Amino acid sequence: MHAVRNIRLCTKDCLCLYVCPTGATDTESGQIDATKCLSGCRACVDACPSHAIFLIPDEYPLQQKKTNDVKKALLTLSESKTRQEQLALTITKTSDDPIVRQLAQALSISNRLLAEDVLREAGYMLPQSQNVKDFLQSLLDTPQPEDFPIKTVEKLLSIL
Amino acid sequence: MKKYICPICGFTYNESVGIEEEKIKKGTKWKDMPSDWVCPLCSTKRVDFLEEAIDVALNEKVPFSEEGEASTLRKLSIKEMSALCSNLSKGCEKQYRNEEADLFKQLSEYFKNKGDFTKDASFKDLSNLIQKDLDTNYKNAKNVITKSGDRGALRALVWGEKATNILSSVIKRYDKKKNELLENTNIYVCEICGFVYIGDEAPKICPVCKVPNMKIVQVKRR
Ligand code: SF4
Ligand code: SF4
Ligand SMILES: [Zn+2]
Repeated sequence: MHAVRNIRLCTKDCLCLYVCPTGATDTESGQIDATKCLSGCRACVDACPSHAIFLIPDEYPLQQKKTNDVKKALLTLSESKTRQEQLALTITKTSDDPIVRQLAQALSISNRLLAEDVLREAGYMLPQSQNVKDFLQSLLDTPQPEDFPIKTVEKLLSIL
Repeated sequence: MKKYICPICGFTYNESVGIEEEKIKKGTKWKDMPSDWVCPLCSTKRVDFLEEAIDVALNEKVPFSEEGEASTLRKLSIKEMSALCSNLSKGCEKQYRNEEADLFKQLSEYFKNKGDFTKDASFKDLSNLIQKDLDTNYKNAKNVITKSGDRGALRALVWGEKATNILSSVIKRYDKKKNELLENTNIYVCEICGFVYIGDEAPKICPVCKVPNMKIVQVKRR
């Protein structure tokens, strides 16, 4: 466990600096220094009047197993939602009516969210899970177009 | 150092971490744990825990290999990869992993721009797909997922079906009233569940996922 600060909630009254035994909360970046934070000490969490600090786990439990039937059902939906997103985006790019574009824009955002949600439940909840790493690796293992951002994928694999 | 997993709730005991709250020190071996120790999450007995053989054993292989069980699953399309990466980006943000969040966002954008936007598209095409989701896709998925007891997936279906019903009604209303539907009012989308709302002001909480309206954003006319 280590402490993180939600900068949007922090009211800068600095009680966390006062209570922290290691100075981990005392940084210029606004974020708490995870390398100095004592695992689960939580002095700052309890002291912060704005509920701006909480502890997050260093390691999450493994991804729950998803059966193939469940995945298939979810992928049927993600297929449909992403197709709808693409149709809606096409309308936003081709229509010359601002109201049509506005409606299509809303529909594309909605469909993106719906697609994200089912894909997440199809075994990709945690960015650091093996499923996600396998996905990224598969991108490197298959032929990709020239402009494919290989570096981005490699970087992700190295830091996840 | 080994890990042991609760077969009921999935809680993992990691010898190299111990359990701070229970004063079980880092490096405490499984065999040295108190014999009356139980799972801190669900109280399952210690003897029922399973040793984690290899990390990947619990992680089912994803649908990318061409062999075995997984071959029944298809590869993700480019459009899906874009949605997968944008969601992973949000996942990283929630864990305060900003660098990873940025990288996933870049990937997501890359895939998004690879889309083909040249084909004709109309609200009618959209409405056909929506109808198919409502008539068959959600029903099938609900059957399968209810049987499997996967609560997370079921939650996604319940929200998704509601939001899709609303999309269907929005398109029907637009079909009748045309631009008049939006001319003198606003349109909003819930950033959490995809709920679409047409009206002067967003509802206080999202009727589908119950999130407060700071997460319900207006889509501007451009
Ligand atoms: S105690 Fe809380 S509000 Fe005050 S500076 Fe620290 S994080 Fe911000
Ligand atoms: S949890 Fe403890 S060590 Fe970590 S930042 Fe807060 S007060 Fe400092
Ligand atoms: Zn919502």
